[in-house]
Amino acid sequence: MEKLYLALAVFLMLNVAAGLLRILRGPTAADRMLAAQLFGTTGVAILLLLAEAQAVPALRDVALVFALLAALATVAFVKRVWYRKPEDIP
Amino acid sequence: MNDILPWLYDSLIALTLLWIAWQTLSTRDLFKAVLLFIVFGLLMALAWVRLQAPDLALAEAAIGAGLTGALLLDAVGHLRVPRRPGPRK
Amino acid sequence: MNLIDLLGTLLLAAGGFFFLAGTLGLLRFPDVYTRLHALTKVDNLGLGCVVVALMLRADSVAVVFKLGLIWALALLATATAGYLVAHSARQHDIRPWQGPGEDV
Repeated sequence: MEKLYLALAVFLMLNVAAGLLRILRGPTAADRMLAAQLFGTTGVAILLLLAEAQAVPALRDVALVFALLAALATVAFVKRVWYRKPEDIP
Repeated sequence: MNDILPWLYDSLIALTLLWIAWQTLSTRDLFKAVLLFIVFGLLMALAWVRLQAPDLALAEAAIGAGLTGALLLDAVGHLRVPRRPGPRK
Repeated sequence: MNLIDLLGTLLLAAGGFFFLAGTLGLLRFPDVYTRLHALTKVDNLGLGCVVVALMLRADSVAVVFKLGLIWALALLATATAGYLVAHSARQHDIRPWQGPGEDV
């Protein structure tokens, strides 16, 4: 069963590497931010699988931090980088 | 044949890290560079996990990707808005 | 191979399939809103399949609850991020994709 966990982790890493293409050529800034969100979710899955495969239960705490921080980066992006100034809104 | 999966995983993560590092340094768009830096932090945390250091992975994810990433995004936002109405932009 | 192992393998395969679908959606869909739809829903479904598969083989009840809480936090975080990005994209006057007939 450990082998299956590792195989799925390798597959998810391939998914992450494919998602990098969207960061490199996303037309708008939001597309790039969405790819970072994908890495957050996929990273949680990889960490949970590795926690079981390597028998290191502390990795579940790292997965919690991942889930929290992907949302933090998105909130910082929406509120600080991509917001619209109030005088621009008609 | 038994340990091909960990080897595959490690080489994949190492190659992706090097590629992200090169793209971060060579891109012209500041926002793209910051975003690639955040992704680099996330993948570096996964690399620390493979090196049997979960405490370093926790610190890297919280400080490297989360805190520094949010602060750098804030800085990019301030750079994009001109302080006074002037000839810039 | 008993029933638990068989069920776990099926759930892991389903999780991998959903993650693949989410990545394909991110790469192939035409605009921000459709990509948002692929990421916030399909990826969390894949994460849920993986979490349930790991729950089946967990050592104690505490681990089961912890895995469930991690999934709940991921769902909450992704839903919040999805709403914020969609709202912000609408404020920036990004038009939704109207179909293959007309170019945006």
